[in-house]
Amino acid sequence: MSSEQDHLKETDTEARFDFKKEETSAFQTEKGLTEETVRVISEDKDEPEWMLKRRLRALEQFQEMPMPTDWPGQPDLSEVDIAEIVPYIRPDVDVRAGVDDWTELPDEIKDTFDKLGIPEAEKNALSGVGAQYESEVVYQNMQERWEEKGVIFCNMDEAVQEHEEIVREHFMTKCVPPSDNKFAALHGAVWSGGSFVYVPEDVTVEMPVQAYFRMNSEGMGQFEHTLIVAEKGSEVHYIEGCSAPKYSAFNLHSGGVEVFVGEDAHVQYSTVQNWSKNTYNLNTKRALVEAGGRMEWISGSMGSKATMLYPSSVLKGRGASDNHITIAFAGEGQNIDTGAKVYHNAPNTKSTIESKSISKDGGRTNYRGLVHIADGAENSSTAVECDALMFDNESTSDTMPYMEINESKVDVAHEATVGKIGDEDIFYLQSRGLDDDDAKQMIVSGFIEPITEELPIEYAVELNRLVELEMEGSLG
Amino acid sequence: MSSAQLPANLSEQTVREISERRDEPEWLLEARLDALDALDAIDLPDVIQTPGRRWTNLEALDFESLVDPLNQADETERTADEGVDVLTFTDALEAHPDLVESAFGSTIDPQENYLTALSAALFTTGTVVYVPEGVDAEDVTIRAEMNSRSLFSHTLVITEESSSVTILESIESGAESDDARYFSNLVEIDAGENSYVQYGSLQNLAEDTYSYSLKRADVGTYATVNWIEGNLGSRLTRSDVESELNGDSAETKIVGAFFGHDEQHFDVNARVWHNAENTTADLVTRGVLDDAARSVYEGVQDVGRDAWNTSSYQRENTLMLSDESEADASPKLIIHNHDTEASHSATVGQVDQEDLFYMVSRAIHPEKARNMLVEGFFVPVLDEIDVDEFREDLEELIAARLR
Repeated sequence: MSSEQDHLKETDTEARFDFKKEETSAFQTEKGLTEETVRVISEDKDEPEWMLKRRLRALEQFQEMPMPTDWPGQPDLSEVDIAEIVPYIRPDVDVRAGVDDWTELPDEIKDTFDKLGIPEAEKNALSGVGAQYESEVVYQNMQERWEEKGVIFCNMDEAVQEHEEIVREHFMTKCVPPSDNKFAALHGAVWSGGSFVYVPEDVTVEMPVQAYFRMNSEGMGQFEHTLIVAEKGSEVHYIEGCSAPKYSAFNLHSGGVEVFVGEDAHVQYSTVQNWSKNTYNLNTKRALVEAGGRMEWISGSMGSKATMLYPSSVLKGRGASDNHITIAFAGEGQNIDTGAKVYHNAPNTKSTIESKSISKDGGRTNYRGLVHIADGAENSSTAVECDALMFDNESTSDTMPYMEINESKVDVAHEATVGKIGDEDIFYLQSRGLDDDDAKQMIVSGFIEPITEELPIEYAVELNRLVELEMEGSLG
Repeated sequence: MSSAQLPANLSEQTVREISERRDEPEWLLEARLDALDALDAIDLPDVIQTPGRRWTNLEALDFESLVDPLNQADETERTADEGVDVLTFTDALEAHPDLVESAFGSTIDPQENYLTALSAALFTTGTVVYVPEGVDAEDVTIRAEMNSRSLFSHTLVITEESSSVTILESIESGAESDDARYFSNLVEIDAGENSYVQYGSLQNLAEDTYSYSLKRADVGTYATVNWIEGNLGSRLTRSDVESELNGDSAETKIVGAFFGHDEQHFDVNARVWHNAENTTADLVTRGVLDDAARSVYEGVQDVGRDAWNTSSYQRENTLMLSDESEADASPKLIIHNHDTEASHSATVGQVDQEDLFYMVSRAIHPEKARNMLVEGFFVPVLDEIDVDEFREDLEELIAARLR
């Protein structure tokens, strides 16, 4: 490991939970959710009329829809009281659309992100970085050479103003309409911040584009929206990281991600989610994939109290493909309910889903997935593989795949295994001089390797470090 | 989900009349009346739902027209082996009153759902198989023919310590009918310590019949219960086959086969609960779908907190012969103890094109080759059957459907 990357380890991931800043926000909406709240958010952002209308319509839908309560084995959401959530906090930064020079940021915010290692990550390996603090993007930068090729990477609020036509066409219309689920509707009403990425035809962005989201206030809701439009033949890798410090009240994260993968385009979306363990993480992420396009979802879910997240791909065009790699780690008090959804709506489409989960100290993981093959989607294939590792009999590991096959000329396979760490493996490593803890840690690192090898090195390092911390927690 | 409507032709009086005609003891009448009372408040069995889709529409069952409680008729032949009692439910009430009273409702709570309650309130036929300690019985058969618009049946199997029994139960329809029909069957097995039960069931009802069956075993220490469930007939079948491994070292196999054609709908489910130490389960289901037939499968392997050293396996394979058919599957693992080796797999696909090519290149007619491959597909299920007669019946029905 090079010395440049050492800071990522030394930043001490643990510190990400334990430091929190005095809240000094310029503007904060009242707790709870009313039409007034939504109007205030929209007005404060100086949004066009159509966006306000979409927000209000979403609010209506949110109020009509019931809470999801009848999914088998789902996390308990009874504590999620929307009336207690502050949906919108704008940090005290003068430049509304964010600053593009790191040194212009207020010291306090800079300090926070320094601890998270964000500018260093940019220096090292990334072509663009956006950082969101509370509800607003405070820092955004895109390397010049991509800008010259017409690549857009900006704050979502700015995109509504500057790239109105593209946003109006794609924002919560065809991909994730607010009617999709209750939390998508909530998101549609109060969304704030997030990233907009536009990659023109045949442009390949060779380095990953990165965004980091952070909640620093107690009882806070974060509702960032990410919209990625990859035109025909283009290629981009987007990485998102999330964290929040510990507070006693609960936080709610309800993000929305919409990805448009054009013909023969290739989008990879990677997430390392490390929200503090009082956060409810209820997201909607979906990609529409045109003919020959390829969508890859890579997710690591380590944090949160409860997660309900099923990134989905709709394979619309002939030969479109999808690849899901997910890893979930649930420790004490955590319920990580995550998986994948793929709709094969055209011939010759292909999907592979690889899921790994680890549960310990009473944590609960659940793989919940759906593969739907429509009538006429001939010569399609799907392979789903779920592996779960359990540490003790306090923990729970569930696997709940659903397969709906309406076409006979297909190849559908699902496989799952659940087990404990092999005593023989541990014995072998111990006989090579490792102690029990190191042996277990090493086995877990090996177990999740298929995921970490898909990530850029500093994210792989962070993921490994997070897993180590989770493991150490059990030994204390 | 709201529960189905109470059929208008159903009242306390109807239930009393059924019970009186059969000269039943007071406890059974009470159990029937309690089940009837409960109907208002309980739901239909759970059905899998995914966004925008409900896998089986049980709400569409119109019990008003399907159920004719006072005119149930069946013809059932029972054969027994030496030392084992194979009795009609009514005869068993005479011969083994205490045994029947304690076994009835012990593994299936009559008020578990709307369909079990309806069945418990109205059943007029059924069988009790009682295998005393140490008795080994083979070739117990229960062959039933349904001769009315609706028929409700209740079967009890009780095996005492170190006994064994193989049972074949079959159900088919008698005379043709112009109306839609409804068949309901609840089977409870109480497998005592170190006993062995193989319960084979073959459903080949007329294709205007809606059928519901729930079969559940309480498997004791060192005991084994193996289920074989064959579904070929009916318009719509909802079948649940379940084992509760309640004793240490208990074992179960749930083997299923279905073959749907035309507009048939099979909702088949295999579930196992590992509630004790050193238990083993193996769930194997194979199904073939032709025409516009549809299958829905749920397999559940539930490993409890105290189920140390569990082994649990599940395989489900569906072969689609037609583009109009649909196969839905959901194999589930619910694991609460890490000292477990569990796996499941499911596949859906068509007849292997390479296999087909190989056979055609050996001068076998394509249709014959396909049929041979379909018959071969069922072999892993057929191999599990202990009773020759059952295996032959199933083979014949599969072959007949391919002609």
